[in-house]
Amino acid sequence: MTDTALGIVGRRLLAAVPILIVVSALVFVVLRLIPADPLGMSLPPNATEADVETMRHEMGLDRPIPEQYVIWLGHIARGDLGISSHFRQRVTGLIAAALPTTLELVASGLILGILLGLTGGLLMFEGRGRVTEQVTDIGSLVVMSIPEFLWAIFLILALGVGLRLLPFIGRLDADMTVPPVTGFLLVDSLVDGQLNAFASVAAHLLLPALALGLALAPLIMRVLRSSLIDTYVEDYITLARLRGLSERRILLRHALKNAALPTASLIGVQAGFMFGGTLLVEVIYTFPGIGNLMVEAVRNHDLPLIQGIALVYCVIVLVINTVVDLAYLALNPKLRRQ
Amino acid sequence: MSEMLRRALAEPRVRVGAIITLFVLAVAIFAPLLAPHDPTEQDLVNTLLPPMWQDGGDPSFVLGTDSLGRDILSRLIYGARVAMTVAVVAAFGAALLGSAFALIAGYFGGVVDWLICRAVDVWMSFPPVILSLILMVGLGTGLRNVILAIVIVDWTRFCRVVRSEVLAVMKRDYIPAARLVGFSHTRVILREVLPAVTPLLLTLLSIEMGIAVIVEAILSFVGLSVEADLPAWGVMIADARGYMYEAAWGLIVPVLGIFVTVLGTNILGDGLRRSLDPRLAQRLAAVR
Repeated sequence: MTDTALGIVGRRLLAAVPILIVVSALVFVVLRLIPADPLGMSLPPNATEADVETMRHEMGLDRPIPEQYVIWLGHIARGDLGISSHFRQRVTGLIAAALPTTLELVASGLILGILLGLTGGLLMFEGRGRVTEQVTDIGSLVVMSIPEFLWAIFLILALGVGLRLLPFIGRLDADMTVPPVTGFLLVDSLVDGQLNAFASVAAHLLLPALALGLALAPLIMRVLRSSLIDTYVEDYITLARLRGLSERRILLRHALKNAALPTASLIGVQAGFMFGGTLLVEVIYTFPGIGNLMVEAVRNHDLPLIQGIALVYCVIVLVINTVVDLAYLALNPKLRRQ
Repeated sequence: MSEMLRRALAEPRVRVGAIITLFVLAVAIFAPLLAPHDPTEQDLVNTLLPPMWQDGGDPSFVLGTDSLGRDILSRLIYGARVAMTVAVVAAFGAALLGSAFALIAGYFGGVVDWLICRAVDVWMSFPPVILSLILMVGLGTGLRNVILAIVIVDWTRFCRVVRSEVLAVMKRDYIPAARLVGFSHTRVILREVLPAVTPLLLTLLSIEMGIAVIVEAILSFVGLSVEADLPAWGVMIADARGYMYEAAWGLIVPVLGIFVTVLGTNILGDGLRRSLDPRLAQRLAAVR
């Protein structure tokens, strides 16, 4: 088991290096197509021609693109992503400060989405062949047609502006401060022993996380339902029935475990996509995560920052893929024996 | 082909989805005839008007006005133009590119297949929204570039799924048979393999139209989509967000526009999948 798990991690790590190199080259070249001069954004309006040239030289923009790329790659290898042209700070620092916010949000969104999706999928399956199937099926299609950022707006209008139940700006009430330890405010507020701050963080997290979760849930529902349908034609289900096991036990103990594989791989792919989905959710809820940072970077044509965040996204997706492979291994005994 | 159409139309979902999608398409095509106002015309006296049926509403602005006094209904109607142009052109472009690569990869296999699959791997190591944002920075804004960005990002959705279908088709006897008769590769691909994957392609195409609408809305929300003078739904949302306490309506209208359009293409796609995929039909029959 551990050998295979190590094998998977090793293989993924080896594959990650060429993928990261190709991705970084692609991003680098695409950003060099830029129609506007990236320097225009980072210089004061009264800059002289000489200032521009000095800046161009400082940023290495006067060299050929392949040379710029190799230099950049060399810096990355040393953990240096350069300096943001807009914020005038190290890209690594900006990303490190924003990343926990996004991770906390996506993790909460994933948990909510998986809970809602699994419950919904089981209900849909239980109602098969009855009117409820039609209703839940159409219902899931309707819910599926609402992307994260529309959920984000719906939830603000309904629960924030309408009923005034939940906060929807930022991560914490303005009058509270939590000393940063991990950057994950749910953790930091507890470390500091501030229960009211913890409650505030959780309340601020609820709507954006729900927006992400609601976009994920119908996909899980539908895949789980159809893999359960597939599973129920297998002989071992008939066998379990002949053994006199209750339907509930058959569903929860036998069918669900086997139907979990396609659902797990869907969750893996969608978890990667969710990092794209948080982008607007973060903007809409004023969450200072990497999605918000990316939008800022893009608006300001901040090339070093865009490149840095792009690489971080790529690393995140590669890590998720590895985790999904490991989950597959844990769920599917056949793979373990090989 | 007509047999396929008949089977598809027998499914109520296909009919409902097609009606919604064709409705939005018709609104987009006939926008100049339908819109009561110029969507960019500002009326600074009548800003943030509520819909006509609410207190203070003006019958000449049916759904009210935005913060610059522009008619929301007209912007909604013209927004359908941007959305459907992007949806149709980008979805066809992505389908064309993706299925061409899928057919080549699945049919020839070997090194070609390996290369195409690795390219898909690279693309899949990025959240699609992030990739399209980066492309928009590189390409610059504008309708043509939005379409181009979506095609470049989303061809992999087609390539992955269609390729595995092509691999399944290649196992059938009539493919080697067609080669033995002396048909060229091109002919076998276009006449034998392509028709077999067409049902899947149509399903994906319908769903991709919805995805393209969402991506365009996201890009225009961020201000990186079509030209500034084109009314896009994402721009409407971004504009109305600052006034959601006074004029929630301006936010709700474009949100509904996006929702209805995506719902139509999703229902259509689901219906096509159900009516055209023989394996799914068998599976459902086995359970009931």
